[in-house]
Amino acid sequence: MSEVYASPFFGIFLSILTFETGVWINKKTKSAVANPLLIAVILCILILKIFRIPLESYYVGGDLISVFLGPATAVLALSVYSQFALLKKYFLPILLGTVVGSAVSMSSAYLLCKVFHLDAALTASMLTKSVTTPFAIAISQNIGGVPSVAVAAVVMTGILGAVFAPLLIRLFHVKNPIAAGVAIGTSSHAVGTSKAIELGETEGAMSGIAIGMAGIVTVIISIFL
Amino acid sequence: MKMMFQIGLLFGVCLVGQAISVFLPVSFPGSVLSMIILFLLLFSGVVKVDHIKQKADFLLKNMAFFFIPAGVGILLSFDLIKNNILPLLIIVVVTTILTFGATALTVQGVIALQDRLARSKLKKGEPHE
Repeated sequence: MSEVYASPFFGIFLSILTFETGVWINKKTKSAVANPLLIAVILCILILKIFRIPLESYYVGGDLISVFLGPATAVLALSVYSQFALLKKYFLPILLGTVVGSAVSMSSAYLLCKVFHLDAALTASMLTKSVTTPFAIAISQNIGGVPSVAVAAVVMTGILGAVFAPLLIRLFHVKNPIAAGVAIGTSSHAVGTSKAIELGETEGAMSGIAIGMAGIVTVIISIFL
Repeated sequence: MKMMFQIGLLFGVCLVGQAISVFLPVSFPGSVLSMIILFLLLFSGVVKVDHIKQKADFLLKNMAFFFIPAGVGILLSFDLIKNNILPLLIIVVVTTILTFGATALTVQGVIALQDRLARSKLKKGEPHE
């Protein structure tokens, strides 16, 4: 049986099957909490655990899917390009928003880690939770964090952002789609952006811009840590 | 534009982004460099929107899907996380709300400030420093 799991088709098929199940549940319930990514991740983990399938077997196919994260991030350039007039007009608010947001993200994570007496390595892994995975791995390594924990924090933050973005928009009375997009991208990177794209083209493009900007700002702040 | 051409173009851009990231003195993700390169190519007119439209739309519409393996990777650090699960969850939730609020309010505040400055300039009828 292990020969079947170890084939790349297993990881790819399981991912598509669970994701489409997530999309179906999301459509049926029309609930933000029924996020397709969240459902897919939970179902994948459950199936791997129940059938005692090693994670390495899943990754034979899973890694092939991860390869597309690069191109998926790159094509955000197309959203940015189609919204370039807005970026030019609102450059200062967008820049200041990502700087303030990234600073708040890192300092609040740091303070809360101190409150809970988490050790230095775990704290360093939590500081990069709001930036996209490749940034988080690079930065957390530089400041003495554990990359796999950093990635887990990034993914949890992203899913949380994607699930609760519509709720947070209402909570903070965000009327401006530019502010909403920048806030989603700065707080919950590319996973949040996948939700921002659904909310609207402006939200999606601004969120895409914020991923890059928040990442760069976080790199710069981390140099001083 | 033919699909194979679109895919080839996109992977080519990613390859260049990766190559630049290897030679940079600071660690900077190749995928973000690829995004900047693709933007510059579109901006300069070397690449037209039509050249990548279908492939880009496919990736953008299904972006969440490509994060599934990264999400399942939580299992890799499961033991470390398990021992601190409650504080970590609280930190993730609280900081995400704070970051979202701080960013959104800053963007809206600066836009409102700019609008007010622009209006007061208009009222005085003359541009000044």
